[in-house]
Amino acid sequence: MDNKDNANPTILNVSELPTRQNKKKTSAISKDADLDLGIVLKRPEYLSAPFCDVPWASDDTDSDDGFTIEPIDEQEIYDLISTISDPEHPLSLGQLAVVNLPDIHITPSPSAAADPNTLTQVLVKITPTITHCSLATVIGLGIRVRLEQALPPNYRVDVMIKEGTHSQDDQVNKQLADKERVAAALENATLKGVLDKMLETCV
Amino acid sequence: MSSHEPPMPVKLVPLPPFKPDLCERAWQSIPHPTLPLLATVHEKSVTVFSLSTLSPHSHLTNGHERSVRSTTWKPNLPPHKLCLITGSFDSSAGLWRWEDEGRGGSDNLEVEMTGGAREESEEKDWELIVVLEGHDSEIKSVAFSPSGQYVATCSRDKAVWIWEDVGASEADDEWETIAVLNEHDGDVKAVAWCPDTNRSGRGRYSSDVLASASYDDTVRIWREDEDGEWICVAVLEGHKGTVWGVQWEPNPKTDRFPRLLSWSADRTIRVWTLKEEEDEAQAAPRHAFGGLGGIPNTMRRSQKEEWSCTAILPTAHTRDIYSATWSPQTGRVASTGSDAVIAIYEEVASDPNGAVFTEDEAAAELDGDVPMSNGHSESNTEASSQWKLISTTPNAHGPYEINHITWCKRYDHDCPPEKRGVEEMLVTTGDDGIVRSWQIS
Repeated sequence: MDNKDNANPTILNVSELPTRQNKKKTSAISKDADLDLGIVLKRPEYLSAPFCDVPWASDDTDSDDGFTIEPIDEQEIYDLISTISDPEHPLSLGQLAVVNLPDIHITPSPSAAADPNTLTQVLVKITPTITHCSLATVIGLGIRVRLEQALPPNYRVDVMIKEGTHSQDDQVNKQLADKERVAAALENATLKGVLDKMLETCV
Repeated sequence: MSSHEPPMPVKLVPLPPFKPDLCERAWQSIPHPTLPLLATVHEKSVTVFSLSTLSPHSHLTNGHERSVRSTTWKPNLPPHKLCLITGSFDSSAGLWRWEDEGRGGSDNLEVEMTGGAREESEEKDWELIVVLEGHDSEIKSVAFSPSGQYVATCSRDKAVWIWEDVGASEADDEWETIAVLNEHDGDVKAVAWCPDTNRSGRGRYSSDVLASASYDDTVRIWREDEDGEWICVAVLEGHKGTVWGVQWEPNPKTDRFPRLLSWSADRTIRVWTLKEEEDEAQAAPRHAFGGLGGIPNTMRRSQKEEWSCTAILPTAHTRDIYSATWSPQTGRVASTGSDAVIAIYEEVASDPNGAVFTEDEAAAELDGDVPMSNGHSESNTEASSQWKLISTTPNAHGPYEINHITWCKRYDHDCPPEKRGVEEMLVTTGDDGIVRSWQIS
C-alpha cells in the first residue's frame, strides 16, 4: 500500500515486548522460551471443543499430577493478539504498540477455580498509531474475531479505542460492540480477506 | 386478574429442546400466529419446527447468499398454506411459500405432525417466489402488518421500506414499494407493526402503525396520513445505546392505545405510552397534583403524536439486551441477551396517564440511586406504572449469548391435551444453535 495513514510509525523491538518470561511470579511456568508460542498454537483446540478445559500449561512439572489448569490471564490475551499483523505495515500490533499489556483487563480476575459458565469480560483498549487512522475499526475487528475464536464461549470480548487516542473513538467503539455488525462484516468477502491476512501471523 | 396483587416469584423449568441442534448461531425463532409451527433462522436458512413433535417440519434453503437474520409469517392464510418472508444480510428479502396440496382440512397439519410420520411431506420444499430488492446493505428485520397487506423491512442502510401486496389474488405475488423512510441516523435494527387492537379510528391517520428501533438510540413511530404518505409521527428518545428491538403491547387491558416496549444495548427496557388527545382534558387534573412538571424533553412539539416513557423495567441484565417479549395472556415481559440471563417481569400497577419518566429519574435508576420500579415520586407511587422482577435464570444457554426470546403456545406431548394451544412457554434461541423451551411455574 502506498498511501499509508502513518508512514513512519514508532516501532518497538520484539525483544522489548512483554512476555511471560519477564514475570517473576510465574513460578509454575517453565522458562522455556517456546512457551508463549506453544500457548498460541494450542488455542484452536477450544474451537472444536468449547467446553473442554484444555490443560495448556502442561509443561508445568511442579504440580503433583503433571498438569494444572491455568486461568487465562492478561499476558495470554496479549500473546493471542499482539501477533496480529497490522493491515498496512508488515509489523505486528505488539510491535506497533497498538495493543499493550496494561490495556488488557479481565473481569473477574483470572482464577483457576472459575466455573466454565461464569461470564468473563476481556476488555482490550487499543491505541491506534495516529488519531485519525481509518483502519482502527478493522484492527479492532481483527482483535475481537481473534479472541472470540480462541477463547471459550463464556468469554465476552469488548474492544475499545483507548480514550483520547482517536478522533472518532465513540463511533468505532459502538461498531466494535455491535454483534450484528461484526457478524455481517465477517460475511463481507473483501473485509474477511483483510482479516484473514492480519490473522495469518497468529498461527 | 387484579393488578394490585403482589407478584409471585416464578421459576423457569426447562422443557425438552427442539431437535436436532443446529450447531451454528441461530438468530431468532418466530411462532406461527395460529398453527403449531416455529420458524428458526440460522446461517443462510430457516428451519421450521413442529411445536408438537419438537422436530423439523420443513426447511427453507438456497434462497440467500448470506445469513438470514429474521423472518415473519404471513397472517390470515388457510392452514394448508404457509408463507414466510426472510430478511438477509445479502440485502434482499425473500417471500417463500409452502403448500400442502390436496390436504385442505384445517386440522390436518397438526394431526399429521402429531402422528410423527410425515416422510413425504417433510421432503416437500419451500419455494422462493419473490425476492424483494432495494436495500443497499444487510436487512436486519422484516415484519408483516396484521392484515398481511404490508411488509416492512429495515437495514444497515438506515432506511425502513414498506412494501404492499398489490396482487389480484393470494397466489398473485406482486409487491410494490410504497414508502422508503430515511429519517434514522443509523442502522435500523428492528421493525414492528402495531397489532390489530385499539388502534383504529385514532387521529387522522389510517389504522396501521409501524415502530422502528435503531442504532441511533431512538425509536420512531410511523403512520400513513390522509394523502397516503407515510410519516414519522414521533421520535422516542431516552435509550443511551442501540435499540435492539421493539414490541407493541399485544393485549391492552383497557381500551387505551397499545403501549410500546423497547430494549437496548444500554441494558434497559422501556415502556412508552401515547398521550391520547381525547383523554387530555380529564388527564390534566391528575397531572396537577402529581408534581410531574411539564412535557419531558423526549417530546418534540413539532411531532404529531406525544409519546413518553412511562416505565423503565427493573435492572436484570449486565450486557446488551438483544430480545424481549410481552405476553398477550399474562402481560408479563421476558428478556434476554448477551449475559445469557432470562428475566421475567410483571406489571403490578399501571396508569398510563399517571407517570412520565424524566431523564433525570431515568438516569438515577440506571445509576441505582433509586430503587427500580418504585415510581418516581412518593405522592404518585400508586398511579405510576410499576414493574417487578419476578424471575431470573442465569446461563440459560450455558455460557452462550441468547439472541431471541418469545412467548409461544405449547403443543408438545408433555403438555396436557386440554392445555395444548393454550398454555404459554418461553422459547429462546442462542449462539449455541439450540432452540430451548421453558415452562413457567
